[in-house]
Amino acid sequence: MLKFIIRRLLVTVPMVLVVVSITWGLIRLAPGNFYTGEKAIPPAIERNLREKYGLDRPWYVQYGRMIGNTLHGDFGSSLKYPSTSVNSILANAVPVSATIGTLAYLLALLVGIPSGAMAALRQNSTADYASMTVAMLGISIPNFVLGPLLVLVFSLTWFWLPPARWNGFSPNLILPVLTLSAIYMAYIARLTRSGLLEVLRSNYIRTARAKGLSDREILVRHALRGGLLPVLSFSGPALVFIITDAVVVERIFALPGVGNYFINACLNRDEPLIIGIVAFTAIAVLVFNLVVDVAYAFVDPRVRY
Amino acid sequence: MTTRHRRATPFAVVAARLVACSALALSLSACTVSSSHSQYFGKVDPPSGQTLRYVSGPEPESLDPQLTTGQPEGRILMALFDGLTEYDPKTAEPIPALAERWDANADNSVFIFHLRPARWSNGRPLTAHDFVYSIRRGLSPALAARAAYLAYYIQYAEAYNESGVFAQDPRSGAFVMDPAHPDLRLVLPGDEASRAKALADPDLAAAVRGKTFVPVRAEDVGVDALDDETLRIRLTQPVPFLVALMAHHFFRPVPREAIERWGDQWTSPGHMVTSGAFVLRDWRPYDRIVVTRNPMYWDAASVHLDSITFFPIEDATTIMNLYKAGDVDAVLNRTVPAAWVDELRQYKDYMDGPEAGNEYYQINTTRPPMNDARVRHALNMAIDKPALAGYLRMATAETSFVPAGIFPDYPVVAGDSFDPAKARALLAEAGYRRADGAYDPSRFPVDRVEVSYNTLELHRHVAEFVQAQWKQNLGLTIPLKNVEWKTFLDSRARLDYNGIARSGWIGDYMDPYTFLSIFATPTGDNGTGWWDPSYVALLNRANRQHDPAARDALLAEAEAKLLDAQPVIPLFTTGTDWVKKPYVKGMYANPVSMFAWKYVWIEHDPSRW
Repeated sequence: MLKFIIRRLLVTVPMVLVVVSITWGLIRLAPGNFYTGEKAIPPAIERNLREKYGLDRPWYVQYGRMIGNTLHGDFGSSLKYPSTSVNSILANAVPVSATIGTLAYLLALLVGIPSGAMAALRQNSTADYASMTVAMLGISIPNFVLGPLLVLVFSLTWFWLPPARWNGFSPNLILPVLTLSAIYMAYIARLTRSGLLEVLRSNYIRTARAKGLSDREILVRHALRGGLLPVLSFSGPALVFIITDAVVVERIFALPGVGNYFINACLNRDEPLIIGIVAFTAIAVLVFNLVVDVAYAFVDPRVRY
Repeated sequence: MTTRHRRATPFAVVAARLVACSALALSLSACTVSSSHSQYFGKVDPPSGQTLRYVSGPEPESLDPQLTTGQPEGRILMALFDGLTEYDPKTAEPIPALAERWDANADNSVFIFHLRPARWSNGRPLTAHDFVYSIRRGLSPALAARAAYLAYYIQYAEAYNESGVFAQDPRSGAFVMDPAHPDLRLVLPGDEASRAKALADPDLAAAVRGKTFVPVRAEDVGVDALDDETLRIRLTQPVPFLVALMAHHFFRPVPREAIERWGDQWTSPGHMVTSGAFVLRDWRPYDRIVVTRNPMYWDAASVHLDSITFFPIEDATTIMNLYKAGDVDAVLNRTVPAAWVDELRQYKDYMDGPEAGNEYYQINTTRPPMNDARVRHALNMAIDKPALAGYLRMATAETSFVPAGIFPDYPVVAGDSFDPAKARALLAEAGYRRADGAYDPSRFPVDRVEVSYNTLELHRHVAEFVQAQWKQNLGLTIPLKNVEWKTFLDSRARLDYNGIARSGWIGDYMDPYTFLSIFATPTGDNGTGWWDPSYVALLNRANRQHDPAARDALLAEAEAKLLDAQPVIPLFTTGTDWVKKPYVKGMYANPVSMFAWKYVWIEHDPSRW
């Protein structure tokens, strides 16, 4: 197991390098530069800027520096925000994104699993239909619709919750977390339901029932373990999607997370910042997948590494 | 200053559309919520005490006045740094700030500024030497300031910024003078290759033969301190608008001790030393910037606010949501979405006035069919601009290039008015006609013309409107092309576009020259391929005038020449288009939306709102 983890972690390094290299190439292909704006700048100033940021060096020197920075985990100074280093931007922005992402996923699990389990246990009941209808809505309404709708109701009509902005752990988090988690909540509820339905019909559950175990014990000790496997395998990609979905939610709710920076970094052609965020996201994706793979071994006795 | 249109991302585009739908629903609910204050929009609860919460737009690139170019940064910097002059809160005309008064020589090419006693926030006296240091720093090639071009009117500023060289006689030490300006030294490019190209001119080569090339140094720039309270600025040409230009944040002095101690980290809270009404308390990127009262400020007695919190938020709908919920007190200009304008106009919150900026279409005059002035005029005449402005709701139609009504004494130079019949006649005259001489739209090469614009709802609306006008009035279907912002800028700057590209300009300073000078050089912001030395001559003659009326007349003559050549199609002037709560006093819809924060206060007594 340990060997497996180490091997996977080692693979992370070349994979991140491949990802940043492709990104770097794409940035170069995009027309325009970080200093281009509505007003043209004289050639002399452009030359000063290119010298200052080393853009006058040959491409392989620039590429080598970027790879070196990535390996050192120090992405240098942002081009758009010259007095700020990419690392300090990440240090400020990642906790914000992590907070709403984690809270959103926890909320999705907390609501999704019980409602899915309830629907499975009372299959074809009113409760089943009701929860699956709500889940269907959750899947079909995109977050950029849901967010403004929630704002409209809770912030602008009833004035209960703030409509946007970051304020640490505060009511400001409620709407963005709700918006971000809705679709995952819905998916998890549906996955739990279908997973449980399959498991509840299997032989070992019948055996458990024949032994005289109570419904509650069957569900908690035997059925859920197998029934939640689809939820677990969904969690890997879900945690990744949450990062990309957060881009939208952070914009709607004006949160100082990674997503806001990412959009603007691309529009601004802010190479060090783009590379920093892409490298960070790539690492996060690889780590999430590893964690899910390891968790499999604990949940499913058939999985061995 | 750059026009910082909020550039719509794909997400934002979708979101904006959806939110526009919900705006409808919202306008219904607005009536019920704010029934108690029906003349105001949303919640009206003044913050306790004298604190202001202002949405300042995009996250500032930096709080270094010399490294930023945008208006949104300029607004924040106005709280932290004072300039020689400041923008008048109502008219944006220059008013005295650190300079108590000033004199100019007869032809406006040497200015003497007399400073008032003032201190930095660390208690050190602020003197003319601080200005000398700051302007030299702003021009240093190593700083690579993008706004440095604003200072190019100062003697040898451009030469220093572009690392140029003087030619000096090794024996006598005399400098070779510039044949075009006999009282200025000749400046040659610093790098060998460009210099060799410049010296291809045999007269020039002869003049510098046997001379040594010495780099232009910071000390050569035409800014000097005559004493602690007197600053002299020598210019390369007459610059009657210098006093207005000095309000720009690029010219606001920066604290030498903080910069030398902290390097590029001097703008962090705790490091920054300021000269303005406020000091920096906190800066959390994409979250907030908090400034608090500066007790050392020379005019501290007039400052009302104890603190200002600037929220950097870009999404217009999010900004309006916060405003409606009462979480912010005022927002930046060009923020109220077009779909909301009619609704917002009913409230006293809406701040409406013309901006010192214009929106226009520029034409690539180097490629047919647009190289024919008749075609350019025809396209201009076939647009019903008042109808366009009415459709956009927050705009004023323009036929002139310099926006009307911003510069009180400057005459309005009317361009072509809406005249579809004449437009068709002009096109027929240009060769797009049948054998009998009647106009024939099918002969016009529409495949060689297109309207390109950068991604933004507003620009799309305008382009579609103009397209419909040409279809209706000329029978031409000109294709539209939507281009990502930086890609767009790139192709526009290289004149690599067919036909027409969207453009906009916000004045750098309060003078018509800021608009007219766009076309003073063939390169840079011009982007049309049109350049006329006689136009430049008129501008230069105007700047040499002492009498403002005579100057305005010459500038207007130049503008008439521009409109006659028609490398641009003026469209409209945008409105200021922002909102503030009734309890925020001392902020006005001025043409540049720049606010001297020391004049702003929170009025807690509703009877005075």
